[in-house]
Amino acid sequence: MAGRGGDRDVTRRSMLGAFGAAGVAAVAGGALGLGGVRAAAAQTLGQNEPLDAALKRVFGGRPMKDGSGMVKLDVPLIAENGSVVPVSVEVSTPMTPQSYVKHIYIVADKNRIPIVTRVALTPDSGQAYMGANIRLGETTDVRAVVEQSDGTLLAVKREVKVTVGGCGG
Amino acid sequence: MSEIGKVRLRLPASIKPGDVVRVRCLVIHPMERIERDNQGKIIDKKYNYIDKVTVTYRGKTVATFDTTQSVSENPFFAFSVKATEPGKLTVTFHDTHGDTYEGSADIAFS
Amino acid sequence: MATRWFAALVLAAGCATAADRSEVPRWTSRAIPEARGDVHTADGRRIAVRYPGWTTQDFGRFRTYAYDDARPAPAVQRATPPPDLVGDASRGRALFLDRAKGPCTGCHLAPGDDVWPAGSVGPDLSTIGDRKLTEAYLYQQLWDPRVTFPSTIMPPWGAQRVLTPQQIVDLVAYLQTLRGPAPPEKDPDRNPFTRRKPVGFGDNLDPTNNPAVVRAEDAETLWNARGPAGKSCADCHSGGGRKALRGVAPHYPRYVPAYRRVMSIEDFLAVHAPETTGRELPVESADNVDLGMLIKMSSDGLPVAVDTTSAPARAAIARGQATFYKRVGERNHACADCHTPERGAGKFLGGRLLGDVTTGLTRHFPTWRTDRAEPWDMRKRFQWCMTPLGMNMLPADSIEYAELELYLTQFDNGKPMNVPGIRH
Repeated sequence: MAGRGGDRDVTRRSMLGAFGAAGVAAVAGGALGLGGVRAAAAQTLGQNEPLDAALKRVFGGRPMKDGSGMVKLDVPLIAENGSVVPVSVEVSTPMTPQSYVKHIYIVADKNRIPIVTRVALTPDSGQAYMGANIRLGETTDVRAVVEQSDGTLLAVKREVKVTVGGCGG
Repeated sequence: MSEIGKVRLRLPASIKPGDVVRVRCLVIHPMERIERDNQGKIIDKKYNYIDKVTVTYRGKTVATFDTTQSVSENPFFAFSVKATEPGKLTVTFHDTHGDTYEGSADIAFS
Repeated sequence: MATRWFAALVLAAGCATAADRSEVPRWTSRAIPEARGDVHTADGRRIAVRYPGWTTQDFGRFRTYAYDDARPAPAVQRATPPPDLVGDASRGRALFLDRAKGPCTGCHLAPGDDVWPAGSVGPDLSTIGDRKLTEAYLYQQLWDPRVTFPSTIMPPWGAQRVLTPQQIVDLVAYLQTLRGPAPPEKDPDRNPFTRRKPVGFGDNLDPTNNPAVVRAEDAETLWNARGPAGKSCADCHSGGGRKALRGVAPHYPRYVPAYRRVMSIEDFLAVHAPETTGRELPVESADNVDLGMLIKMSSDGLPVAVDTTSAPARAAIARGQATFYKRVGERNHACADCHTPERGAGKFLGGRLLGDVTTGLTRHFPTWRTDRAEPWDMRKRFQWCMTPLGMNMLPADSIEYAELELYLTQFDNGKPMNVPGIRH
């Protein structure tokens, strides 16, 4: 956080995110004609922005509880190559219609596009589990943010060291 | 040479009713990254990447991935589904150029 | 007879010129233009033709693996620091870490949280300043360490003009500041001597994990497609692309009498496909690599069984071994520097764990390169390895590469084929 100027900027961004989603979707959908709302809504998920702005935009400053113990984030501690880094998340809470894991987010702190993916789950998933191969631009913390059906947010993070270069490659 | 949009799905070899099944899938896709010009300015164009993946089982959506350019080329995804009854599992990938690619597998009990 | 061949092998290990090359024919490349190692001249500048995204710098001054390249290894040079040059330790440190140069950290550990990823091929230099080595001595080691250590694997940075005298003086000034005791290590992964080994990329034969499997499976279409001559692979080889040639690939590379040379599967496809189907299948084209993968996959699990006993095979292996030990390029490196256990194998080069020739480097090729998102056969891997060492690559289907591949593959004999692999 870089003082008031930075804060104000972040607030403005998050306002745009909160109010702007529907409007942006309508405009972009019309202009681009690409599956309309669906394409534009997803576009707003992945934006070139700093981590703080991404977290405010997506989670609106809601408190996050420490998820360790419940959320298992599996990432390599050393990624030989940042282009393909396998990530998986498993949450140990049951998936019932009354209480289930609604979303799992993957966030890469130092990526230019920090929000990597958001997985929407249903009780029919049977288990709160996801896996994906992700890109990491450099050594960074990778977070899993879990949103439960009652709105509770749980977060865990682990550092992934990214190896680049080396002579022969 | 493989074309964009080839899909592969993998399920466990043997599934029993009520199993929570882990499914793996991959689609051949470039997942175009942001490019920059010589001045380091982002080149403004409609980058082609997969931004949504939907999983349906017996016609009902069980999971949806919203994805960004921070996902790898030739993306791989894994998820679970509770196998209650025999039926079709379909994974559909949508990209920002409006194309969709699909892979499906039958969940059957052994 | 047997004794003579044995003698040739022993000689080849130590001396690059001992192997008999008289029986190697000329070969016109059947590779795609990017894979032929051509050098063009444009506006008076020499430009090397390589794959998209690779450097176009011409390294023509430096010797290569070509059998007809008889240039000697660079002469050992003595050097002393020019008296008018003053070293700057901070510039030296920046250079030590600069990826555009060595980087020195590729082989040597130094202090600092920003030193990542350091390698362990060379000695840890974290406290070298304590050894009270003279500036003249350190200058010589950087200029050309062969004066003191004739068989060192460290490049002669000054003699080969990779580094300038000023740069070397700066590096020496930096090294002299590295005094112990080293602070306790905060992060064991920073230190290549305690770093955890990379975990790899999972099941290489799972098509949802390795896109190369998808590529190879799709090559079945090519297998069944009729070429201009009206024939397809399937017309002569029955059983389908996944099965028809099971048991063939473990014997490649092999000496093919019709062409009087050793050929890898990919070399053979490039001549056999046009002859039979009329279809061109140039080496390093996607079709060639994919079809080669499909054929090799059909032998997965079978033990590698290249010929090591026939007279042409033994001669080729002797030449391949000579190549493996020949020092080449701007950096004056040999394959053996990185890939034999007595030198770099099993150690980190930067963040890469170097493979060991004696445990086998070939049976997963072609292999998916996650950082390039394409499958590479063994020869493209050779070309990639050699380019940053400052040497012009040979055509992918050169006899030199095929015989080097054969030399490497014999270490895999008896071990199961496992194609396609997946690596960083």
